[in-house]
Amino acid sequence: MKGLISLLLVLVCNISVAVEQAETIFKQHAPSLYQIRLIDKASGEKSSIGSGFQISSDGLIATNYHVISSYARHPEKYRIEFLDNQGKKAHLELKSIDVINDLALVKRDVEQEMPFFTIANSVPTKGEELYSLGNPHDLGMIVVPGTYNGLKKESFNDRIHFTGSVNSGMSGGPVVNKNSDVVGINVATSGNQIGFLVPHDKLLALVKTYKEQNNLTIAQQMEQQLNQNQKKLIGTLLDSNWQLRKLGEGLIPTIDVPFIRCWGESNADKSDALVMLAVANCSLEENTYISGNFFTGALEMEFRYMQAKKLSDVKFYQLFQRQIARVMPGNKAGKDDVTEFQCQHDIVMPENQLINNKAILCTRAYKDFNDLYDVLYLGISIDRDDQAFISHFTLAGVAQNSAQAFTSKFMESVSWK
Amino acid sequence: MEIIIEEISRGHKLLGRHKFAKQSINVGRGYHSDIILSDPHVCAEHLSIEFDGDNWLIADQDSINGCFLDDGNKPANGHIVRSGDVITLGKSQIRVVFPHHPVETSITLSPFENLINLTKHPVALFVNIALFAIITGWMFFLNNPKEVTFTQLFVPSIGLTLMFAIWPASVALISHLTKHDARIFTQLGLCFVFYNLTWFSDFIEALVKFNTSSQFPLTALLALLPISIAFCLFWLNCYVGFHMSSKRRTVVAVCLTTLLFGGSFLIEMSKKPDFSIRPHFNSTLLTPSFMFAKSSSVDEFIENSNELFSEAKKSVKKDD
Repeated sequence: MKGLISLLLVLVCNISVAVEQAETIFKQHAPSLYQIRLIDKASGEKSSIGSGFQISSDGLIATNYHVISSYARHPEKYRIEFLDNQGKKAHLELKSIDVINDLALVKRDVEQEMPFFTIANSVPTKGEELYSLGNPHDLGMIVVPGTYNGLKKESFNDRIHFTGSVNSGMSGGPVVNKNSDVVGINVATSGNQIGFLVPHDKLLALVKTYKEQNNLTIAQQMEQQLNQNQKKLIGTLLDSNWQLRKLGEGLIPTIDVPFIRCWGESNADKSDALVMLAVANCSLEENTYISGNFFTGALEMEFRYMQAKKLSDVKFYQLFQRQIARVMPGNKAGKDDVTEFQCQHDIVMPENQLINNKAILCTRAYKDFNDLYDVLYLGISIDRDDQAFISHFTLAGVAQNSAQAFTSKFMESVSWK
Repeated sequence: MEIIIEEISRGHKLLGRHKFAKQSINVGRGYHSDIILSDPHVCAEHLSIEFDGDNWLIADQDSINGCFLDDGNKPANGHIVRSGDVITLGKSQIRVVFPHHPVETSITLSPFENLINLTKHPVALFVNIALFAIITGWMFFLNNPKEVTFTQLFVPSIGLTLMFAIWPASVALISHLTKHDARIFTQLGLCFVFYNLTWFSDFIEALVKFNTSSQFPLTALLALLPISIAFCLFWLNCYVGFHMSSKRRTVVAVCLTTLLFGGSFLIEMSKKPDFSIRPHFNSTLLTPSFMFAKSSSVDEFIENSNELFSEAKKSVKKDD
């Protein structure tokens, strides 16, 4: 009992310390915290909101790219405004973006030097107490305490796993340590108490590039960043170990990198099914937001092994044909973003001659970004009477050479056992 | 002097033909007339055609509605008849022909006609219709992802067969209504032969699509196969059902074919969304035993995709 009471006391003390800490941080930094709002010029009302924080005495403010994405894509339709802790509103100018890490730099006019957040120069330790600041659901600025849980392992572009509630509207707000140094930027949430932050070094890198060369337009920066990211991603994938695993009578490649995860499913429990089916899915569960419905940077692979149980081969292939005609791309980009898909098909046998596939490759080009494509591949085995093997992948936002290199490696890897 | 008078319909179809060896012929609604017309716009004694020794002359018997040459307004009273003249009286028409009037050369009975008649032979007819019903049922079976019983296939296949019999039946009905021979069994036999040919052409199309790559330039020509089958069917429908010049028959067949394929093309176009995110590709699959083509290597496939990417790039510029 005594032990329990002392434990409780310790807890209460800890909580009160945390609350005090949060209070000081909030008081100290309130003038450097902003609500960033996108105003629709035609209606004069705000169309989206987020948070931001000042990082230099001359008015440079950091926020998330997705907070201002509509402006970045359609600057003629919107303007950006800030709302400070005293209720003052004024115009902001978009300076630079990092679309891959979801960061943006905007600038306000300042008359005299202003207080600002300093960016940390070291990474927090696991379990360290952090404070997330922001304006959730337009309810006013708040502080949320939470814990640093290291970098998310399954992510290609680094994200901090933060145990604390990051809510919508807090996007772009800073996350600080006890010394009020910024260690991350709120970016996403994955349900209760699971939040994700952009590490501070990405912000430092963005500020550095902004100061060195700010002659690229926002669209050019976006194109360059998307291009570099796809090159890095496809390069990493092609250089990794492609392990061959069994799926039914077929062999499928699984890429040995932590950010690609696989899931499986089969109908082995249904004894009356006409076709035995086993499915494996592998995907990069992360994509880059551009605007509206337009996401890019995703990768999905799907493999299906089918075996006819109580079917003639003619009916088996007929049903199989109906199934493959329903393939859809992974991302829902619209008319303004991409062209319509164009496809080619052929009968292709890989070098090992273990399988004969009908191969279909479709591609569509991005309208605003030069040499970036969405690619969709479908391989269908046509050499066994009662067995079929479908191999499929989609890549979003890749260059032609990356797409071709990946397709080639993928096609050579899939085969019968 | 003999004279032939033909009762004809407004569309110049022959309704009756009479030959007279008299000097004077009466035409009217009255029962004492030589030619009795039942048209209420014709008077009991409407007109007479009389021979004066040299010529045949038309004499209007003071009829209420008068009589005219051809379809026009030129009064026929006192007109000297030439062979082939058409006279309008009331809402009826008659045509006057002399015995020496030239006729068209006779058409030889072609072996083609025998071939057409073969399709109406009860055995051929039964085999063709049964074949169509069986293939239809089989298609239902192949496209059904669940297990199906015989009755579940029987009902739609018979239903569809009956539906497809509507076309030859209506062609026969129209030829019957236009005073032609109905020849319904010939029409039925012909149509089902061609319906079965369509199944065959579908198979040929699938076989070609399955064995060729997107580099194969002649895939578009495959569409000509069903179009020509439809044209032949419509042409034969006209040949069997109606007496018309071969030029007119071709025009009718072309029009029907255009209506059928142009119509379905227009319906397709109207359904097409402004922008489709779904890729459209050749998904034809047959069983491995129908694969005759040589496989390409992965490198060749990738090499070909260069063109695909440049096409995609081009369509960006086109959309701008």
